[in-house]
Amino acid sequence: MSTLAALARLRAVRTGTAQRLATVRHCHLSERPMVFIPLRLAGEAAAPLAAMVGTDPGHPHLLVVPQPRDRDLRFAFAAELAEIVLPYVEGFLKETETVERRGAEPYERCADAPQLLVPGRSALAFTLLLGRSTRFRRAEGPHAVHPSVPILGRWLTFFAQRARHPGSALLLAATEALSLHWATGQSALEDANLASLIGWIDPPPGTTGADAAREAEDPLVWPPAGPATDPGFDAEVLAPAIRAYEEAPGERAAARVAEAVRTQLDPTWRLMWRAVDLLRGLPEGRGASARWETDRGSFTAFAEQLAEGGPPQPKHDGAVAAASRLARMERAQASYDAQRAYDDPLVMAAYRLTGEAFTGTVVASDPANAEGEGRGRKLRPLLTVRTGDPVRLATGTKLGTPDRRGQQAEVVEVDGELVTLKIVKGMGRGKVATPGAVPEVGDQVCYAALSDEYQPPASLPAPEETPWTHGGPPPEYVPSTEDDQEEWS
Amino acid sequence: MERFDRLRGAVPARPHDARAIAALAANPGCARRAVMDAAGVDKDATATHLGFPAPFGQSPFAITRGNAFEALVKDSGCAELLRLLRELLGLPIPLAAYTDLGDIGGNPSAHLRHAHTLKLIDRAARDDDEAGTLYDHPLLRLEIAGHTSYLEPDVVAFRLAGRFHIVEIKSFAIVDGQAEPDKVAAAARQAAVYVLALRTMLAELGHDPARVSHEVVLVCPENFANRPAGTLLDVRRELAVLRRQLSRMARVGAIVDGLPEELTFDLAPDADGVPTRPVPELREAVRTVGARYAPECLSTCDLCFFCRDEAAAGGSTELLGRQVRDALGGVATVSEALGLADGSLTPGEGQEEIARLLRLADRIYAEAG
Amino acid sequence: MSERLDALEERINALRAEVRRAVRARDGALARSLRAELRGVERAWDQALADQEPPARETPSASEPDEAPRAGAAREPGALVPVREQVHQALTILGVPASAKMIVAVHGALRAGSLRGTQLASLRRDEERSFRSSPFARPYYLCAALTDRLSASRGLLTVSTWPLERRAIGPLSPRVDFLTTAIRVAEHILRLEEAGEPTPSGAERLLSRLAYNVPGVPVAPDAPPRPAMVVKAARAELEVHAGADADARARIADRARARLGDAERLFGGTILSLAREEAS
Repeated sequence: MSTLAALARLRAVRTGTAQRLATVRHCHLSERPMVFIPLRLAGEAAAPLAAMVGTDPGHPHLLVVPQPRDRDLRFAFAAELAEIVLPYVEGFLKETETVERRGAEPYERCADAPQLLVPGRSALAFTLLLGRSTRFRRAEGPHAVHPSVPILGRWLTFFAQRARHPGSALLLAATEALSLHWATGQSALEDANLASLIGWIDPPPGTTGADAAREAEDPLVWPPAGPATDPGFDAEVLAPAIRAYEEAPGERAAARVAEAVRTQLDPTWRLMWRAVDLLRGLPEGRGASARWETDRGSFTAFAEQLAEGGPPQPKHDGAVAAASRLARMERAQASYDAQRAYDDPLVMAAYRLTGEAFTGTVVASDPANAEGEGRGRKLRPLLTVRTGDPVRLATGTKLGTPDRRGQQAEVVEVDGELVTLKIVKGMGRGKVATPGAVPEVGDQVCYAALSDEYQPPASLPAPEETPWTHGGPPPEYVPSTEDDQEEWS
Repeated sequence: MERFDRLRGAVPARPHDARAIAALAANPGCARRAVMDAAGVDKDATATHLGFPAPFGQSPFAITRGNAFEALVKDSGCAELLRLLRELLGLPIPLAAYTDLGDIGGNPSAHLRHAHTLKLIDRAARDDDEAGTLYDHPLLRLEIAGHTSYLEPDVVAFRLAGRFHIVEIKSFAIVDGQAEPDKVAAAARQAAVYVLALRTMLAELGHDPARVSHEVVLVCPENFANRPAGTLLDVRRELAVLRRQLSRMARVGAIVDGLPEELTFDLAPDADGVPTRPVPELREAVRTVGARYAPECLSTCDLCFFCRDEAAAGGSTELLGRQVRDALGGVATVSEALGLADGSLTPGEGQEEIARLLRLADRIYAEAG
Repeated sequence: MSERLDALEERINALRAEVRRAVRARDGALARSLRAELRGVERAWDQALADQEPPARETPSASEPDEAPRAGAAREPGALVPVREQVHQALTILGVPASAKMIVAVHGALRAGSLRGTQLASLRRDEERSFRSSPFARPYYLCAALTDRLSASRGLLTVSTWPLERRAIGPLSPRVDFLTTAIRVAEHILRLEEAGEPTPSGAERLLSRLAYNVPGVPVAPDAPPRPAMVVKAARAELEVHAGADADARARIADRARARLGDAERLFGGTILSLAREEAS
């Protein structure tokens, strides 16, 4: 944790409300996100108990498994969930745009993409498990399920796996998204409680964030956001209701279970939409929109794969797929960090503290400085900046700046409060700099040793050429009956 | 010993189960917890009486599921477990003996059951021909600061390459080779307690304690089926942490010696067991022994809400978690850190660097926000 | 939804919260009385809902005891036979000491029965009482298996007409009896096949479950194991344990004959006789 974030938490303790960690929103927020709050039966790996899901704050769908240990009821639940999620997801496939690429065929990309919002990290993990437990099912054979179930499984898997990709917003956990933008006066561990986190950010009138957060810890006032339910609720309310259903299955008994879980889901449903409102209150950062474009591409590609009848996502990544995923993630993380810093002075502030970035006033500028002769002559303007920041940058370090994203500069010299740098990229071909391209004396500037430049992907062998040291080529996916027979108990 | 009895009051010492013993290792620096555990104080009851009931509870569904899975693994003379051990450790077919150490007729006392376990383990360690393969419901013992705790591991397996193995049955699932890391870690800590107890027993019997393997067999349901699968867990690290913590507990006497003579955590229960001790008095008593609160306590210690409240009242930076504390270079209170940040407080010796950083952070934060 | 239902729901939610508050405060008595009140309100809610619904859909009502067969459903043939009779049938198929769980599974799979574990809970005690009041009055008793300490083994049931050797449990006996169970179930299915009768799917599932823990049974994911293969594989392992197990059982049986009276021989030694045994 940066000293800055720590300081923000201290200030939150003192003032009694959460402190801003960002001036813009660093995640895209859909105009019509789908909120998904799953509950699981305690003690079971992936037995769904209920879910509240929908795109309209006023009209949540409540899905309930009145006896979560019943396999057929679970798949009925999955089919019901598919009926809500799939039309929402597939609705985004209708409108596409053509993307031109240099040196490659243009391709079609969906104009917008679906966005799932879950309460927290554990709901995200449960979404992945739900996907895992349904994507291998088949619509025919002895263990047939509704045809929509495996499709749902593959979409849930896609969303949950995509959420690991730094900066992706196709599936967001509310606690994570909020924590990215606000610092509370409690520990990160306690921030995982959505009610208490929102208590800090937006306490009810007349209450401090600290008090609201404490109150939010009472499961009777604010039931846990799931997927785990409150053990007291399980013992006192849920267990008798499920027993009643077991003894006399029927709509009335099912309604009683539904009534019970609704009390646990309603408050979280309202919290989720408050989280949406809080996040909407921040203007969207430039990088967030760019990353959403990548998300749309990823969504489109997966939809195509699905339409072409590709196999379900494997249980384990092959060695090459794993290595390339890791490399992709690292690149995405670096560029995500850089983009946020360039989008947001509050994020940049943390880098200024560590000396990787600085702001200051231009005290000297030589926009006409050039290197090379004749046709090789290139504009290399020189700048000297006076800063109060503790600069820790070596000569030759490449720098970027939020104000002129296309430019790259290089550290020439750091002398106390004076930093001299040379603009080495993005000056164009002209003999003189275009007006405004080079900061003038008196300008406020910010430079940082962060790069969100595109880096070519690491070169890895094709999956069929996986070296034996890494397990050799992965076996081709052959659907096995074991997959769909696997009990879900 | 009398000293501990006085601290606890007129109730029997609360026995430690493996889970509780494993939790001792979670926050070894906390004197409050060390003293109360050593004295066998019922921390849950104490916290409730103080008005800060512990936030824990186990769902009846989880309990039922755990019991059902254990029964499944143990059915028909541990038929499932035998299959796993044959697959996992190459247990030879002839080694299939099953002994239920708990099945000794009537409703035996812990003492009797422990004696029976002792006898059979001794026999097994002494003579290979007399040794069984699976021992169900063994009852082990561990001394914690002078108090005996009885511990019941799920199964002890013997003669896997001449060594005893602890078998730990857990009902959390392993999906595609992955389980929740917290749960695996908790299982490993708990299994380490059993390994230690069994080693202690062998040593007492004059056998080589190293005959108890540091590899325990973890049995969990695999994927979404109920079918048990086995994994070997190396618990050497957990054992080392546990030993260290237990030796610290043994030295808890030194802390106790420094406490006021008349100090007691007695709840003074009436005939119905309802505590009558005035709450302010109890609060004072508990506060006499210093705590080291950390947010991690929220999932391991019954007193967590009380200690958190105390830390908050004192404006402690502990409240915000280790990461924040590290970033603050160990500055103890919120007001001190904020004072250094806004320059209203002169840094003490050794605080110059963190003060400089905080002042800078304060300026940049104001500028950027 | 009517106002009455709304009001009841509100009351239900409030009561639930109070119950849980009471439980958290460890106030058992208050929790119980609140819970009772809660059940009452829930019943009223059920009733109010029923009053609203057209009565055609569901017939069972809350007043009906849950043990009773559902209205309109035909009674299963097993239900006409007393529980002890059904248990006896299952144990006769198996021919070895078995747990209540195994008896229920076997009876359900092979006899299409619907025994419940709870029905077996008090069986052994009832049998013992009957035996003690008039010894050997019945043609058979459902009785205990004997541990090597001559006490009643926890959870295992046997039949009094079996030889003591079969009712004794040595260290290898659980394994031997498990393998025998697999063989008996497989043989039962083979007999059905020979008679041209369809194999109940429950029987196949039971056999799969048992066969999974018998080494050497070929596993095909699509099909249940072949009964003949199960018999062959289980016999192969049985061969390994049979001699040692028979010896151990014989020793226990001899001791039981020497030291226990009739009732103890059937239902297990008492603490007193065990202490004598221990001292000797």
